[in-house]
Amino acid sequence: MSSTTDARLAGAARVSAPPLDSFRHYRHLTLELAISQFKLRYTGSALGYLWSLLKPAMIFAIMYFIFVDLFNIKDGTADYGMQVLLGIVVWTFFAECTSSSMAAIASNGGLIRKAYFPRSILVIAASLSALFTFLINLTIVFVIAVALHQIDIGLRIVVVIPLLLELYLLALGISLFLSALFVQFHDVSHLWEVLMQLLFYASGVMFSLTYVLQRLHLALQVGTTAEKAPHLVWIVQVMAANPIMQTIEDLRHALLTPVAPWTELVVSGHLAAVHQYAPLNAAWEVPVPFLVVLLVVAGGALTFRSRARSFAENL
Amino acid sequence: MADQDVAIRVEHLSKRFRIPLDRSATLKHRLTHWRSASRYRILEALLDVSFDVRAGEFIGIIGHNGSGKSTLLKILSRIYRANEGVVAIAGKVSPFLELGVGFNPELTARENIFLSGSILGLNRPELHRLFDEIIGFADLEQFVDHKLKNFSSGMEVRLAFSLAIQAHAEILMMDEVLAVGDAAFQEKCFDTFNRYKREGRTVVLVTHGLAAVTTYCDRALLLDHGRLVADGETADVTAQYRRAIGLAADGTLTANEVERWGSRDVVFTGLRMLDERGAEDRNPPTGGFVRIELGYEIQNDAVSDFVCTLWLLRADGLMVSESQLPVSQYAQVGESQRGSGGTMHFDIPQIPLLDGAYSVEVELRGRRDGAAYDHIRHAIDFRVIDRRDRHGVIEPGGAWSVVPADQPVAWRPTALPGVGQDERPVRRRR
Repeated sequence: MSSTTDARLAGAARVSAPPLDSFRHYRHLTLELAISQFKLRYTGSALGYLWSLLKPAMIFAIMYFIFVDLFNIKDGTADYGMQVLLGIVVWTFFAECTSSSMAAIASNGGLIRKAYFPRSILVIAASLSALFTFLINLTIVFVIAVALHQIDIGLRIVVVIPLLLELYLLALGISLFLSALFVQFHDVSHLWEVLMQLLFYASGVMFSLTYVLQRLHLALQVGTTAEKAPHLVWIVQVMAANPIMQTIEDLRHALLTPVAPWTELVVSGHLAAVHQYAPLNAAWEVPVPFLVVLLVVAGGALTFRSRARSFAENL
Repeated sequence: MADQDVAIRVEHLSKRFRIPLDRSATLKHRLTHWRSASRYRILEALLDVSFDVRAGEFIGIIGHNGSGKSTLLKILSRIYRANEGVVAIAGKVSPFLELGVGFNPELTARENIFLSGSILGLNRPELHRLFDEIIGFADLEQFVDHKLKNFSSGMEVRLAFSLAIQAHAEILMMDEVLAVGDAAFQEKCFDTFNRYKREGRTVVLVTHGLAAVTTYCDRALLLDHGRLVADGETADVTAQYRRAIGLAADGTLTANEVERWGSRDVVFTGLRMLDERGAEDRNPPTGGFVRIELGYEIQNDAVSDFVCTLWLLRADGLMVSESQLPVSQYAQVGESQRGSGGTMHFDIPQIPLLDGAYSVEVELRGRRDGAAYDHIRHAIDFRVIDRRDRHGVIEPGGAWSVVPADQPVAWRPTALPGVGQDERPVRRRR
């Protein structure tokens, strides 16, 4: 039972466009789709693009009020507000990218049933259009930080590019996975909404890992053992493995007044007391978030690939 | 046939669709039923289809709804994957099947050209270069920066068409592209298809319109329930198709020489000619009551409303009358759903036809796009009986009277042609 649908004719006089050419074309198509989606995102709203700025700003205001004024949670750093703002901008990208890309296949049924192109283009285009918004927002946060002298421009800033790439790849991997499943199971959108709530708190948007470790440290000083506070250990474990937390923390470190970078947090000596009890006592914890990204991207791509061939029939 | 000439080779192609019987596509269902085998109905959309298309050939694929012709086209353009068989294609295939793929109503004409053009396989420099030509051909110079949603359907089709013809594929796949558009648009299609022929491009055309196949195609394929039943000269294949659908039509519709076509989105389910007592009668007397009963059923949810037209024809093909379901009645047939249907009556209180053989021709057509859903020629053949042995075509219901001699007459016929000095030739009427 063979299914070589696109085998070429042996000895055919003419062959299809070379792969390089089609790659270039598909790259062009991806950008074209991403640009139109970016344009379309805010059509019909009076404030248009401004919403992509207003939304994180408003969320920031609410969160800041709740966490700082109401619960008085601060992680001791002077530029806590700036750190939270950066965290919210990163989180907003992750949330919007995954939720808008999830529907990229299901909402383009007409296109998929009537035209041929690699289906992943639709998901990549949706994620890119979220990335455009993110990059603009990030630039604005950067400008604000410079204006408030809360930034320490140094060589560390170079790290931003691989970090953004890592974050984007993670969001893309999840988007590929979700969009492929969403075609047949709309349940995933509800499930993902709940999961995102969990991820929000596990990503250190409002507080850094330092803060959680301090809490753990305090709890341990009072006399609790790790066995007696398994939830705290668990939270630390999840956060340490979470690539979103890692990128947010490292972005803060690279852009804002230096906070301990994620790698230092895990391996540095002054947290040795914590390490004695917490399971974060080895250097091997460092690559975990990167491995998670790799796994998510591979899993997402494979899931998408195996399901893509039947999209046209299932939509 | 040398391989050099072959543009498309299809060998033993089969395609099956699995149609879930219990349609609950949720995770819960999957989780609770993951062990029990899912219940599917297997639909054999294509069965062991093989054929070759030579480069430069203009080939038409015909067949009734669900015969697999669109599935075949989708496999050729890589939208679907075949279950079995081999498709080999030499040349660049157009990646789209219909006009206006990727159009977004919220974008302007200019933005849509760049977006949809990219899907059609054109890159940005090419689109910049061709931009004026595309807009000019579509006659839309003044609307370049207007949003597509403000365009009329005609304008949109023009834009879609002038963009589509710029795609530089060597092999073009077209699914019902001719179903839309007015006469001027059809004319442009005709010109473009002729240009394709001159350029030696290979075109695969799927259509319900036998006229289009006859006009453009050198060769036709006839599909029936997924099998390739005929492959050859267009005239032979279309004749076979006509015979096939005549036989396939349901009992009440098989009169002699039934010809039927259309997309079957809405179909006639039965046609009867009744007398005043409601009994079937195909031999009404002149001046008698005739009711034509038309049963219809909507087979496609997407159909919003349609027009029903009925013609009376004399046996020699002369159209005696044309009548359409009035607009005021649309509300009753619109708002319908798949599977629903109803009955329409066309009542003639006193049929004015004189003795002779006549037929009824009927059509259901989309009100918006004008596409034929179901068109039946010779739907009912009937004979009007006139016992008074009058001659002519109709009984006009005229009345004679003689004016008494003593009554003063204001007007007196004068100078009839052919009478008196003025010898003009008498114009003969048929």
